[in-house]
Amino acid sequence: MANGTAAEVQLVVFQLAGETYGVDINYVQEIIRMQNITPIPRTPAFIEGVINLRGRIIPVIDLHKRFHLPQGEVTNNTRIMVVEMGRVTVGMIVDSVSEVLRLPVASIEPPPSMISGIDVAYLKGVGKWNERLIILLDLERVLQESEQRQLEQGMAAGVDGQ
Amino acid sequence: MSELDMSQYLGIFLDEAEEQLQQLDEAIVKLEQSPDDIELLNTIFRAAHTLKGSSASMGFNRLATLTHRMENVLDLLRQGKMAVNREIIDVLLASLDRLRLLKDGLAAGSGESGEIDDVVARLESVLAPQKAAGDAAEKGGGHNLTLDDIEENVIRAAQVKGFNPYEIQVRLEQGCQMKGARAYLVFNNLKDVGEIIKSIPHTQDLEAERFDDTFTLVLVSREDADTLANIVKSISEIQEVVVRPIRLAEDMEKTTRKAPAAGGGEGPISQAEGRGGENRITQTVRVDVQRLENLMNLVGELVIDRTRLAEVGNGLKARLGSEELLETLEEVSMHIGRITSDLQEEIMKARMFPIDQVFNRFPRMVRDLARKAGKEIDFIVEGRETELDRTVIEEIGDPLIHLLRNAIDHGIEDPAERLKAGKPRRGTVRLRAFHQENQIVITVEDDGAGMDPEKIKAKAVEKGLISREAAARLHPREALDLIFQPGFSTADKVTDVSGRGVGMDIVRAHLEKINGTIDIRTTPGKGTCFTIKLPLTLAINRSLLVQNGGQVYAFPLANVIEIISITPAEIQYVHRQQVVVVRGRVLPLVYLGHALGQARELPPGESYAVVIVGLAEKQIGFIVENLIGEQEIVIKSLGNFIGKIPGIAGATIMGDGSVALILDVRSLIDGLGVEANRELAS
Repeated sequence: MANGTAAEVQLVVFQLAGETYGVDINYVQEIIRMQNITPIPRTPAFIEGVINLRGRIIPVIDLHKRFHLPQGEVTNNTRIMVVEMGRVTVGMIVDSVSEVLRLPVASIEPPPSMISGIDVAYLKGVGKWNERLIILLDLERVLQESEQRQLEQGMAAGVDGQ
Repeated sequence: MSELDMSQYLGIFLDEAEEQLQQLDEAIVKLEQSPDDIELLNTIFRAAHTLKGSSASMGFNRLATLTHRMENVLDLLRQGKMAVNREIIDVLLASLDRLRLLKDGLAAGSGESGEIDDVVARLESVLAPQKAAGDAAEKGGGHNLTLDDIEENVIRAAQVKGFNPYEIQVRLEQGCQMKGARAYLVFNNLKDVGEIIKSIPHTQDLEAERFDDTFTLVLVSREDADTLANIVKSISEIQEVVVRPIRLAEDMEKTTRKAPAAGGGEGPISQAEGRGGENRITQTVRVDVQRLENLMNLVGELVIDRTRLAEVGNGLKARLGSEELLETLEEVSMHIGRITSDLQEEIMKARMFPIDQVFNRFPRMVRDLARKAGKEIDFIVEGRETELDRTVIEEIGDPLIHLLRNAIDHGIEDPAERLKAGKPRRGTVRLRAFHQENQIVITVEDDGAGMDPEKIKAKAVEKGLISREAAARLHPREALDLIFQPGFSTADKVTDVSGRGVGMDIVRAHLEKINGTIDIRTTPGKGTCFTIKLPLTLAINRSLLVQNGGQVYAFPLANVIEIISITPAEIQYVHRQQVVVVRGRVLPLVYLGHALGQARELPPGESYAVVIVGLAEKQIGFIVENLIGEQEIVIKSLGNFIGKIPGIAGATIMGDGSVALILDVRSLIDGLGVEANRELAS
């Protein structure tokens, strides 16, 4: 196990619209319960708003909306997964967080051309683990793009829409 | 110092180095113009000395070596053994450029990249003619101990604490084999009984055995002279030790302090810097602003937890009735509350600096600009001691420079013109800072020609910033506002000073970035006064909290003029714009929800609260659903991910832990495209 870092990835596994996703645990800062989110005007729909994370203001995005997946209900299991990448810290709303597991890199395949509507660009690959498929998110893509393009679009929509 | 330790201090070191490099840069350029300014030389020397010291202690040898050589040159200049000339200035500036290169390398994490040998050689060659003479003088055994201001200050501070200063001359035996090691032993043994604040030659030279047989130390110690002499003598191969108490002679002090005043009138500026230096050594510690910010956040959390603690207490009380333990809980939570507020205040204070830090550099600048423009100007500075938050201080310099330039260049007339207008030959520019309630007010005032609204209008029309018709409708005070339009300049001729493309629009943008406002008062023929109002700090802001659409929003109080209540019947329409008449004045109305891009329609109600905000001459009323009240809030940014949202200046955390958004009134109004009351008022 000790030198297994190169050969396997450690994932935080979560559920989103009935599918199983995973992100590299290195990016996951913490997982908190759902809380009151303050909406921000003139932001893209997938930006739910901001929360107070022990004195820090953290934006929260809804991954359902981000990936255009069917909207789920907020339940007792709903969690905000706080991920940190570079200068960006973001909370992601997921249906539930199930476990942390290690996945051999060898078992990860490149993303198939289409997975239930979610844009392939956001995927790193698909891992197989005990007969289960785990969709690996490319967090960098998820966060970077939303920072630029989506926000501009959202702003444009916010101004002339509604 | 281990690698680990160093990295901890690198940030502080880089900050300080940057400050010193800037100081050196400015001062050396000044020196070229007034080469006899002793105080200026002292300032330069001190900066180089400090930089040398900190570089050496960080183990940055190239920086240390180069600054050391610079210091040698500066020392000779300071002692009058060498005169400032173009060559020396050139070499010093070249050294400075190299230092910056080294520093930038360190900042970028690539180490001390860049060679220094060539610059060191140039510095040496400047020194060469003097060195022989200097060595001879030293060999003569003359008592030529000189202390700079910093060292004197250290000594004074030590004296207060009961230490005595001594000059200790040590002569090693002829042919002593390991001179460096001996010197080290002397240092080491003396360190146990006091503190060495200076050595001649410098420690590096001692270590490298670059000295004959003699070296001199300045030591502060509680021991007496005999004890110290014995300590040194206990080391072998010491030929002779002379320990003399140092007396900081009053007359010596006077010469160093009086000289500059007579020299060039640079007194106030440089002395102030001297004072800063003294404070730093004796009383202050430099703290990373980020640290303070973190502390502030932690206190913020405490505040929130305090509130929750109180809630838990109340909940328990309701359930269990009155119990002794609960009363204790209440007491504790109250106490925590008080402490938290005090803590918050203290941390805020720790971020405050006197504005003198910024004002410092202006007298020289004003003089230079006046000379260049051929004008005669008395420059008066008031309120140097006014304190404001460091973050504000950092931002305020550039706008002020521009306003001062403006006053000199466009405001004050030529002497001949002034005489013709029946004014004194010399113009006056007054820079003033003071506190007013929760704000800092800075004014830049001149008794020059003033501004003519008609001329400004004409200029704006000519530049195509506004149509002739629109210009004709403008109120004179609104016309003044035109100078803040991008691309506007009142300059009829492009001068060296004003032709740099920095306009008043940049000034205003700068100020708004730090939640400041700028206003103009002007009387043609009499002069102009710019008034800048700034929050005491960027971190905390007095706000008016309102509720709208289930959310809490904060209006910066600086923008709020008044709050009124209106009934739906009072709302009228002008050009499809909702307005209300307040004391005879037509005020445009906007529903806050609409301004934020949420709901367009007003919710039904019998009366509405209207927050009237003002930006210079514009006024506009925001209809809100509920008023909550005034509160001090801590401003936090929305972060990189969300970035800049029009209409929103940031967020703050409320007492219950929830997040409220802070409104950015200017961009809120700009986003609406409401012509405010410009058009409507006419």
